[in-house]
Amino acid sequence: MNSDVLQAAGMAVLQVAGMLALAPLLKGAIKKAKAVLQTRQGPPLLQGYYDLAKLLRKEPVRSQTASWVYVAGPRMYFAAAVAATTLVPVLVAAAPLEAAGGILLLVGTLALGRFALAAAALDTGSPFGGMGSSREMTIAALAEPALMLGLFASALAAGTLNLGGLVRGVLAQGPAFHPSDLLAFAGLFIIVIAETGRIPVDNPATHLELTMIHEAMVLEYAGPDLALVEWASAVKELLYLTLLADLFLPIGIATTVAPGAMLVAFGAWCAKILVLAIGVTLVESTNAKLRLFRVPELVASSLGLGFMALAIRFL
Amino acid sequence: MTRDILILCAAGMLVSAFLTVGQKALFTTIRLYAGQSLLLAIAAIAMAVSEGRQHLYVMAALTIALKAILIPWFLMRVIDRIGIHREIEPFLNVPASLLICLGLTVIGYRVSTGFPEGAEGVTHHLLGVALSMLLIGLFLMVTRKKAVTQILALLTVENAVFLVALAVTTGMPLGVELGIAFDVMMAVVVLGVLVHRIVDRFESMDVSRLSNLKG
Repeated sequence: MNSDVLQAAGMAVLQVAGMLALAPLLKGAIKKAKAVLQTRQGPPLLQGYYDLAKLLRKEPVRSQTASWVYVAGPRMYFAAAVAATTLVPVLVAAAPLEAAGGILLLVGTLALGRFALAAAALDTGSPFGGMGSSREMTIAALAEPALMLGLFASALAAGTLNLGGLVRGVLAQGPAFHPSDLLAFAGLFIIVIAETGRIPVDNPATHLELTMIHEAMVLEYAGPDLALVEWASAVKELLYLTLLADLFLPIGIATTVAPGAMLVAFGAWCAKILVLAIGVTLVESTNAKLRLFRVPELVASSLGLGFMALAIRFL
Repeated sequence: MTRDILILCAAGMLVSAFLTVGQKALFTTIRLYAGQSLLLAIAAIAMAVSEGRQHLYVMAALTIALKAILIPWFLMRVIDRIGIHREIEPFLNVPASLLICLGLTVIGYRVSTGFPEGAEGVTHHLLGVALSMLLIGLFLMVTRKKAVTQILALLTVENAVFLVALAVTTGMPLGVELGIAFDVMMAVVVLGVLVHRIVDRFESMDVSRLSNLKG
């Protein structure tokens, strides 16, 4: 019993470390791919790491009116993102802390982080922070049910809400394909775009006050605080893409912790994330940013797709 | 393998039809239609390989050439010429349309189980998707005002009918399908000209203006 707990804890630490280490690379890769599509040189692939290193070395500058909420915000956000990574299977078909909970805990943890950041943005009373949190929450309130519906559609197929069990269920089922899989995938992909602040919903590359959502929220942060927020956002993005890969294409994922299987799983995981990242890049490069009031329509189509995926399962 | 490809393509077509309902930008809807036609062609090729029906290759090639390339190109040119890029006001707003299309999908899927072939297996999904797309296409045709969107709705219905044929008969005779393909092409060309005429006359692509008296 005790060794089980130890092993789970060890796996969790390894997985968190790996996700933290690789997340800035994903951001850099998407940026690079976008630049290539626009025939620009683009920042180097490792720019995310340089930025984080620079920000972490700086001294935090905080507004005089800021209370502990402002300081706690980025830390909570970061902690929530880290906690969420332990609930998702990455290389092995079992999440390190899957005994703690499944889909609902994952969605709840991510919501907790978002709440902490939104509350922190309101704390200093600056108009940008308030505007940013209001927008982020508007989108989140719509995106969360859609995320749940999409996840439930796949959970229904495997008969469990536990993400590890879900992946094992999909693996055991073999490649029997159901149309609702694709519908749920399309719905979740839109949600991933919305939640990670990618272009049809939000533009990660600009600080234009009319359009920014996530950036408006974290506009006041500097130094290590900002580094935590950026890092956590990168981890969240990697987490969402991993989730998509897990639920809809679990081929190659290791069922044992043997080194050979893990190596194969790592290669498969990298390939899947790369393909999804290219998909995100293509969506970003071929679409214009939506007006804020049009975003609910996009998220509504994702909600509809999720619901359709659920309904078709029963028919 | 064939089963998976067929279901994947059918589901993709349903997704594209559903996204068309949620879209207002005309270029995006045209691109979605092109993608939908491409998926249809892939489904036809998969069927041709598994059933050994040679003429389905011809149909697939024709589908790609006509419906995935030529018609979208033509419609984009029409839009470029008249310079109207958005569906401004459909009769029904987007969330309500999405909800109704959800209901239509459920109905389409439910009805498909009534067919003798559609009770289970791949045919069940293909028929369900095709009927849903048929209903969504009809719905789009009724609720959209822009002539180009209505053409796209008609084409979606046509794709759905093709999918039904593919599901139930594993491909109609070549003559029938060739006839349908050229019929569709002619329809699009004629409708394209009609759109130009409507825009000339009313300075708008809004077909609801056609019912107003001019004097």
